[in-house]
Amino acid sequence: MLSSMLRGSSVALRTVSARSLARPVGVSAMMSPIRLYSSSLNKDEISTRIIDVVKAFDKTTASAQVTNETHFAKDLGLDSLDTVELLVAIEEEFDIEIPDKVADEIKSVGEAVKYIETNPEAN
Amino acid sequence: MAKRISGLQREVLQVYRHCIRAAHRKPLTNQPNFVRYIRTEFSKYRDISRKDFSTIEHLLRVGNRRLKMYSASEVKDIH
Repeated sequence: MLSSMLRGSSVALRTVSARSLARPVGVSAMMSPIRLYSSSLNKDEISTRIIDVVKAFDKTTASAQVTNETHFAKDLGLDSLDTVELLVAIEEEFDIEIPDKVADEIKSVGEAVKYIETNPEAN
Repeated sequence: MAKRISGLQREVLQVYRHCIRAAHRKPLTNQPNFVRYIRTEFSKYRDISRKDFSTIEHLLRVGNRRLKMYSASEVKDIH
């Protein structure tokens, strides 16, 4: 009985996949949207770009080693206003705008990476 | 652990954020001037008590008004 159920479902799957294969051809012939979304952004790339921004920020202590665990206030000696400036710089790097509520919670490189990763508009 | 920031402090940070964003929309060569101006204006009141509500609220109003004035696209540079 189980196998017959399985067979049944595989048939259903096949018909579905056949349909979904057939459809995109027609659609793509009508319109060809090129959407450059952040699917190409991987975590390492994001974190290196953020670390570069942090290093370029003029109030960062030059000697400080910047890693994913770096905390803006504790490790870099930035006050809350400097952190805001740094986040705006990161926003510009990825061409997004971080909402005020979220931005208040980002206090380290790792948290910034996590936010950019989940933001579909970042690029 | 840092002290949780109050609503008023949050507001100040938001005004600061909007100021910095506005500065980045200015001509590239003059952006440092705007950022320097914003920093000095905010640092004038850096040591104000966090309990001094009426002063902070007043400064927020002044700041918002000035932000509106300076973010006009006609304003290209600042001293």
